[in-house]
Amino acid sequence: MAGNLILEVRGVSKHFGGVTAVHRCSLALEPGRIFSLIGPNGSGKTTLFNLITGVERCDEGEIYFKGEQIDQLPPHKITWKGIGRTFQVIRVFPELTALENLLVVSRQDWQPSCRRAREFLSFVKLDQLQGEFAGNLSYGQQRLLEFARVLMIDPDLILLDEPAAGVNRTLLNDLLSAIRDLRAQGKTVLIVEHDMKVVMDLSEKIFVLDHGEMLAEGAPSTIRSNQRVMEAYFGH
Amino acid sequence: MKRLAWAIALPIVAGLAVMPFYVSNYITTFTIQTFMWIALAESWNIISGLTGYVSFGHVSFFGTGAYTAAILISKAGWHWFPAALTGSVTAASLALIIGYPCLRLKGPYFAISMLGLNEVVRALVSYFDSLTGGGSGITLSTMSSISPLYYSMGGVALAGWFITYWILTSRFGLRLLSIREDELAAEAMGINTAALKLYAFLISAALPGIVGGFYARYVSHIEPLGTFPLLTTITMIVMCLFGGRGTIFGPILGATLLSILQELVWTRFLFLHEAIFGAIIIFVILLMPRGILGVLQQRYRLPRTI
Repeated sequence: MAGNLILEVRGVSKHFGGVTAVHRCSLALEPGRIFSLIGPNGSGKTTLFNLITGVERCDEGEIYFKGEQIDQLPPHKITWKGIGRTFQVIRVFPELTALENLLVVSRQDWQPSCRRAREFLSFVKLDQLQGEFAGNLSYGQQRLLEFARVLMIDPDLILLDEPAAGVNRTLLNDLLSAIRDLRAQGKTVLIVEHDMKVVMDLSEKIFVLDHGEMLAEGAPSTIRSNQRVMEAYFGH
Repeated sequence: MKRLAWAIALPIVAGLAVMPFYVSNYITTFTIQTFMWIALAESWNIISGLTGYVSFGHVSFFGTGAYTAAILISKAGWHWFPAALTGSVTAASLALIIGYPCLRLKGPYFAISMLGLNEVVRALVSYFDSLTGGGSGITLSTMSSISPLYYSMGGVALAGWFITYWILTSRFGLRLLSIREDELAAEAMGINTAALKLYAFLISAALPGIVGGFYARYVSHIEPLGTFPLLTTITMIVMCLFGGRGTIFGPILGATLLSILQELVWTRFLFLHEAIFGAIIIFVILLMPRGILGVLQQRYRLPRTI
């Protein structure tokens, strides 16, 4: 394995019954960059996220994070190693307040945790709603809360599953600049996103999945002009 | 808010402390039973109210504690108090053995496995008759005064309140609630859900263990059918749900109100009281799934520490 990779996925496969969700898929991420993972619906993007974060077990293949094999670890230990994620279908804790949603994941002492949690809530403009039950927030606000929650873990690699979905244009611009800030801080970000403008604006490298297989990878300009990607993704 | 809570709680605790000196034996006996239900509802709340893992086998911990205490008193000549404390240790040990595999099960599968545990423990108690007396059970000598049991049972109920308060005002409690809300998300956020569920389960089993020990001493005779009835588990569940699951005072409120109601109904409608109790269960589940405090909490934005 190359020493300068933060994440390396080597030939992983995942089957659900007779359906192959991911087939011998490989990718490598260098630290401090923003990557995107795109593909049509059902191409295996979220399954690949689940495999990386330990939510699902690989049927074959290996996953390394900072040179350490992680594909046999439970999800919480993978998070402790430094991988944080959000979910395609929002998974905030609805009967906890916005503030508690952040506090619950912190591993710092209580007072510094409270301070940091308030900073992150302010960052996503939810500070006025810190005492509100997360289940009472709007869809977009819940999406932002989930983003703030993953920041609270302070991971080195952040996996964002459709971060722009349901977020209004103003908040989206804040979100995009926040993602760029993360890169400036040396974090690595891997995004699954359907909004091609977001993908092309943010990403330094794009991976394209189709039917669970890695179809292409490269810079946004390369992907944009890749005929196979156009056929698989846009049907022309 | 905190001062108001203390202003209400302190006179009640002080009043209960001197109560046996001024009331009839009937009232003292009734209060012991209410303390018992409070402690049992609190114990169920810790695992099921906070983590969402519905336990239908909590009476097995109660029965384990009762039999441990009764055996130690009758066969080893122990004083009933340390015998009851040992009951909590055996109940927690049982929870450790059964919790490790069963807490991996989710939803109805966990509930069913706990029902099975109850049957297994009851069958084992009946089988080892040289130790447990089999179907005939164990008879203990009658106590000259029930006051020590009154304070002991009250102490366990109070301890249950303190433990729930400590859990719900700590990050441990928040993490248990996150398991109830979305276990997969909690695990993916770095929360070791398996360990936390097991800790909660152990605490939750230790309380009915000690209550069972006091109960054995209180009734002076225990046998398998009367010590492991499913109705005991159902009652603690209903009391907790009625008061408000996942709250601090909910189990106390639910157990107190329903104990009074049960007593009133039982004395007036001897053959109907179980049907009326069943109707209350349906009412709570249909109209007030959050319980009294859960509804007040949401409607008036009351803090979690009620």
